[in-house]
Amino acid sequence: MNDARSLRRERFAPVTYALLTAGLLLTMVLCVCVGSVPITLSDTVTAVWNALWGLPIPQNIAKNIILNVRLPRVLCVALAGASLSLCGAAMQGLLRNPLADGSTIGVSSGAALGAVIAMAAGITLPGSGYGGVMLTAMAFAFGSLVLILSLAYALDRSLATNSIILIGVIFTMFISSIISLVVTFASEHTRSLNFWTLGSFSGVNYDQAKLLGLALLVCGSVILRYSHELNAFAVGEDNARHIGVNVKRVKLIILITISALIGVCVSISGTVSFVGLVMPHIARMLVGPNHRRLLPAALFAGAIFLLLADLAARTLFSPIELSIGVVTSLVGAVAFVIIFYRTRKAG
Amino acid sequence: MSRKIVSLLLAALLLIGCLPALAEEAVTVVDMHDREITLTEPVTRIVAMQPSDCEILCAIGCEDALVGIGQYCDYPASITSLPVVQSGAETNVEEILALEPQVVLMNDMSQSEEQVKQLEENGVKVVVSKATDIEGVYYAIRMIGALMGKQDAAEAVVADMQATFDDIRAKVQDEGKTVYFEVSPLQYGLWTAGKGTFMDELAGICGLTNAFDDVDDWASISEEQVIARDPDYIVTITMYFGEGPLPVDEILAREGWQDMKAVKNGQVFNASDSNALSRPGPRLKDAAVELYNFVYGEAGEVAPAA
Repeated sequence: MNDARSLRRERFAPVTYALLTAGLLLTMVLCVCVGSVPITLSDTVTAVWNALWGLPIPQNIAKNIILNVRLPRVLCVALAGASLSLCGAAMQGLLRNPLADGSTIGVSSGAALGAVIAMAAGITLPGSGYGGVMLTAMAFAFGSLVLILSLAYALDRSLATNSIILIGVIFTMFISSIISLVVTFASEHTRSLNFWTLGSFSGVNYDQAKLLGLALLVCGSVILRYSHELNAFAVGEDNARHIGVNVKRVKLIILITISALIGVCVSISGTVSFVGLVMPHIARMLVGPNHRRLLPAALFAGAIFLLLADLAARTLFSPIELSIGVVTSLVGAVAFVIIFYRTRKAG
Repeated sequence: MSRKIVSLLLAALLLIGCLPALAEEAVTVVDMHDREITLTEPVTRIVAMQPSDCEILCAIGCEDALVGIGQYCDYPASITSLPVVQSGAETNVEEILALEPQVVLMNDMSQSEEQVKQLEENGVKVVVSKATDIEGVYYAIRMIGALMGKQDAAEAVVADMQATFDDIRAKVQDEGKTVYFEVSPLQYGLWTAGKGTFMDELAGICGLTNAFDDVDDWASISEEQVIARDPDYIVTITMYFGEGPLPVDEILAREGWQDMKAVKNGQVFNASDSNALSRPGPRLKDAAVELYNFVYGEAGEVAPAA
């Protein structure tokens, strides 16, 4: 089973990767060209092209809007979409639970609580203005994940779908009320409740894009390296143990990685729900359950979906801007019901 | 004989003197929910839920009648020691009844019918005050003046506001300059005040056009639109809490905003020191003066009317 040929068949061919990358780039180009302020294609292309090669950029409005507002936003959205979707796919495989995702099992709200507390209490890392918030968000994300899983485990050792989701929902409600408490009493220090509950990419910059990129590079490659183990987990933890997977260690590493990545995303964009839940499923329908294919497919699908959702949030009611969570939740809630219905029928 | 005439005259004078007092006995007002409210005498104990109504009461000299205030009432500072009652959907009927007011002034946004009914059944009249434009503020001031038996003081406050606005209108010409009001800063997602807000009206008084007059009320807007509309002036009402850059400096330093007219010319102004700009009360005139002084500078300075 592990000979070279079947491995090759399991993985995507380079041409598939090229196609996926092309699709993502095309979506990004679309999202940079279309916005609430119409800018001609030639101005857009000139601004981006000249910036890329360090040529002098013509001083006009296109430069400011495209390079300082739209491009950093598109980059952040793509990276966050890819990260959240990858985390969702990994979590669903690890827990053998089709409804697992940062926003359904409470990890995202845990991260948001961490960020809110760090902002309210003024926790900072020397030398980096934002590092304290990010690290606290990561720590809280991991803490929530461990707490939810151990509660679910105590309730039901098989970690069945229903008990995890139930605990996740209750945990999310509990955390949201604490977040609104902190926001009420320290509103001057932290962002609005709306931001934390619905998410927003308004006002993101290149530094945040770099941070997201770095986080995705590090955490993403860790998760992708464990595709094989995730396949084993998907069959069952005993199965994983039998084929020689160090279950505890792998589980811990993947959980920490997921928490870190979700923590970074949440501290930059708030909780953008449902991306991590829905996109892995769509990817699974397209490429099947093998994580060697599923993880990269989910990564690209998440990026493309979130880019389109943000495009809708930015342009549908221009000049008014919607919260991105409004769009993803609208699409996501419907998809959630369909998935739940189908899995129940299958089971 | 002459003594008789004198005493008759005195009696007549006394009667005449009493007439207004008699007329004042019964008070009838139509509140801003179009409900007629009748009281047997001017109010001496009142609870005001909204900051603007507290300001109106104090401006017409009725601070002593105020026995309870809503959560966000903070001006003038002297009222902050009064008992605070929950407002909005969390309106606590018990808390209000315990203060034994004759009237509660509130907005009609989030109280339920039941809450209002409960208050009225217990003998507390509910008067709705909800100004959405400057005319509405005048109405609220006159209405509260009538409730308190202070019509003259109310008229004086209205006249003072009108005089300030007229004074400014007479001095400015509409030169087609635009202003962008920033209600919520970039890091929280931009919000602005569109048409149908006090800021929009005050901009008009000062001869400016609101850059977002195609949007209704307060709205979340895209950063691209602000840059593209390139306003001549930026007014932010972001509070400064002693951390990070000042709101004005933060706007001046934003990536991509450096070529905007307002930023290049340093025409960015923080109006958060007084929350007068967004509060439908007598201090709208101070806000107008503040805005005028910012736009037209020292040369055309108008002193806030006393």
